[in-house]
Amino acid sequence: MRNTASTSLSKGKIRQSWSKYNLYNLQRFRKPTTASRTFFQQKWTAKAAARAYHGEQVREGQWKRMFSKHIRSVIPMNTTDLAADDGSKESAGRGSGLSETSSRNRSRPIPFTQMAFAPLERRLDVAIFRALFASSTRQARQFVIHGAVTVNGQKMRHPSYLLNPGDLFQVDPDRVMYATGAPKTAFERREARQMKQKSAEPEAEAEAEAEQTKAKPETTEKESAKDTLRALMSQAKTIMSTDKDVLPAKRKQELRGFQKAVRRVLSRSDTSSVLTDNLEAQFSQLTLLLNAKRAEKKPAKGSERETQDKKTSPTSTKSGEAASNALSDAFQAAAEGGEVDTSELTDEEFDVLRHALTQMRDNPIDHSKPYATPWRPRDYMAPFAFIPRYLEVNQNICAAVYLRHPVARPGSAEVPTPFGESISTPAYGWYLKRRW
Amino acid sequence: MAPRIQPQRVSNALLPYLTSSTSSSTSSITPTSTPLSSPILSRQFSVTPAPQTRLRRQMFLWLTTKGAALKHHTPGETNYLTGRDKDDKSGGNPRPFPGNSSFLSESVLSEELRNEIYVRVVEKKKSVRAVSVEFGVDMKRIAAVVRLVELERRQRAQGKPLALPYARAVHEMVPTTPLAQEGEHPVYHESINDLPAHPSTGAQIFYPVPESRSFNRVDAGRVFSGAPALEIDVAAKISHPSDLIDDIVQNPNSIEWVGKGGNARQVLQPADVRIPHPQLVQLERDRKAFPNERRTVTERHNERLKKQEEAEQKRREVAQARREKSVQHVEPEGGRFNYRIQDAKFTKETVGVDGRAPWAPGRRYGIPADDRKRGIVKIPTRVEA
Amino acid sequence: MVLRIRLARFGNKHTPFYNIVVAQARSARGAKPLEVIGTYNPIPKRPTNLYDGNAQARPYKEVALDRARAQYWLGVGAQPSDPVWKLMTMAGLVEPKPTTFHKA
Repeated sequence: MRNTASTSLSKGKIRQSWSKYNLYNLQRFRKPTTASRTFFQQKWTAKAAARAYHGEQVREGQWKRMFSKHIRSVIPMNTTDLAADDGSKESAGRGSGLSETSSRNRSRPIPFTQMAFAPLERRLDVAIFRALFASSTRQARQFVIHGAVTVNGQKMRHPSYLLNPGDLFQVDPDRVMYATGAPKTAFERREARQMKQKSAEPEAEAEAEAEQTKAKPETTEKESAKDTLRALMSQAKTIMSTDKDVLPAKRKQELRGFQKAVRRVLSRSDTSSVLTDNLEAQFSQLTLLLNAKRAEKKPAKGSERETQDKKTSPTSTKSGEAASNALSDAFQAAAEGGEVDTSELTDEEFDVLRHALTQMRDNPIDHSKPYATPWRPRDYMAPFAFIPRYLEVNQNICAAVYLRHPVARPGSAEVPTPFGESISTPAYGWYLKRRW
Repeated sequence: MAPRIQPQRVSNALLPYLTSSTSSSTSSITPTSTPLSSPILSRQFSVTPAPQTRLRRQMFLWLTTKGAALKHHTPGETNYLTGRDKDDKSGGNPRPFPGNSSFLSESVLSEELRNEIYVRVVEKKKSVRAVSVEFGVDMKRIAAVVRLVELERRQRAQGKPLALPYARAVHEMVPTTPLAQEGEHPVYHESINDLPAHPSTGAQIFYPVPESRSFNRVDAGRVFSGAPALEIDVAAKISHPSDLIDDIVQNPNSIEWVGKGGNARQVLQPADVRIPHPQLVQLERDRKAFPNERRTVTERHNERLKKQEEAEQKRREVAQARREKSVQHVEPEGGRFNYRIQDAKFTKETVGVDGRAPWAPGRRYGIPADDRKRGIVKIPTRVEA
Repeated sequence: MVLRIRLARFGNKHTPFYNIVVAQARSARGAKPLEVIGTYNPIPKRPTNLYDGNAQARPYKEVALDRARAQYWLGVGAQPSDPVWKLMTMAGLVEPKPTTFHKA
């Protein structure tokens, strides 16, 4: 199917997409004027706008077959109210209750027509988009066609598959990271290319590695262990800082430095085999080191340290430095296998370091990936980030369960639509068989 | 379409690969600086910047001014077009669309709450119903959470790739329901007693009732489903609609049927029975009846819950046993495949008198296949779990 | 004439599906049989990764069989074809087919 879903600025149509063009269109969309337009014209405009967003990839005839005038709704019941009486009070007198005081009668109206396009939410491609696994329905559709989606554990290649309540669908995590992550910059693309070329020439690589191993002992001798670990600490802090001013490039540099530093620390520990292992093994070794020290420390000097913290808290900058020094000493001692006195370390120091390590393991720099690494969300994702209640999503494994069909309830409708009643009601009217 | 690269940026000497890759459209190489030896290279390129339309200019202006706040998110806060107005404490405005006030971005379960639900159901063996009431999470959602967390744990154990940074980012962007700390009152996730609007209640019915008689929810259900009114002595036994709960929970098939043939339908039950947690109505009634005997009330509630659990468990087991009995699993030695031999019945009832009934097992003879007909759904309509 | 219990191919190109039928031995494959007693789907289904139990399980093929009718037809002398014999052995209806020769 040809993709006609352009987000052009001149037409100003709203699409199921996270594009910034779409965001701009969404922001400047205004209700169509109804003055001096016939009712047919009003309905036509409304339906055209609504269909550009809802199931633009579905042919009109197909959508007409899917449309149903019956709309699912629920009323949240209050068990206290139900227990209070058997309902005969409401029907007493002439059928509408003897007193008007019942608060139950006054509830907000149910926005039924906002649910006009609810049948489309059953489609697999739309559900993938709603679960935030793809940046547009078109992309979700491509994921399905390219075989990256399973339903109940079996590969499903039909984007128009209608999910049944209880269906579990799962998208390949790499695709999701690609769809929702920031794109690679030109630099990163080039690095990836170079890496590819390098791996194509294994001999050259082996040579380079040999050189590296030669150079390594020198560097470790030069830098004292203390300095290394101090740098490690500061880098860990930078990585974990949520400050927006830190540029992604800077953060990346720090991350790379941190990775190197960790390698250096590990190279000094007695189990040198971990160096050659993958990142996972390194990580577990480091956390093991940390855990061991914490266990040592806790029973012995717990109360003492607290008092120390209180003392040092006014001069925070000094204590921070001292702590990072202490950490580096402790690390050195641990690496050499001697007895450790970790009394001067704060819990925060450990936590920061551990978080940085976790971050490094979970979000590594990997040029073979099709997205910018370390992964970060793409620009303008947040304005579109919401998950409707009829889906239960587990983002870690990029899987979601379609719990039930979307429903309307007093005051709210579950079908995500950017249009208000002024569009959805005439659009619903358009698709009713009986024209009105 | 990506914004066009401006010549000034491209001519930057630090980005040689950029010029080479995009030279076909917007080359920065000025004619004076290029040696014009070959006739192919002598082609002249325009050096004037690509014209921006008014709309594009406006869009990029908006993106750099008002829209700039939308580019990145602040962890723990929503960042929607409607902006952060009114209450800043609750983590931003929950309306994603400025034009639609009836759609709210509702919270999702936080990771800790999800894991806690899994622990309660799978490891502590609590019933789904009890956990649902405890956390205020729909029972279907509990079942889904258990499935998903189980799958996640398996994938972690198998070392399959996970999308952890993505998960973290999403949970920073959308509102989440946190897990209550020890001693805190739990934050209820959603309403658990949603009553679906039954299609037969759509009609407006004129039904005169003598004023001397009370017309309650049980009677209303019978009127909507077209069943005759209850006999007076039967109706007198039902003091409250929740009296019907026990029987129906124990045996859902005991609900009365009306109508014939294709029009047969079960009598519409009162809301007390149809909500997902009918036992809570009984609990509330007990509380009202015995306001000073909290222990008795709790005991009665627990007893009812236990009975309900047992009945449901029994039904599940019976269904499971029936399924298993009809299937024979064969695992031939040395073969590549297992076989599942399902019992089938090919009788007059299942295949019709002429053996051509469309619902009969196997493929039919003498009937054209519909697999290429127009308007018939050809893709799978369900996937077995 | 001999009655055979055999497979009748349905389905499309590359997606075979068989009815297990009782038919006269000389009748055409696609002709209407005396009786359909089961189905056989030779395309293996892969167990999903959704449950713990079937993580390492082998793919499986689905067979549906009316045991009572199969036993009746065997009783009146219908002869299963080789593939049906294999399936019926697995269902426990007949003994494994005796091999006419032994490999050295």
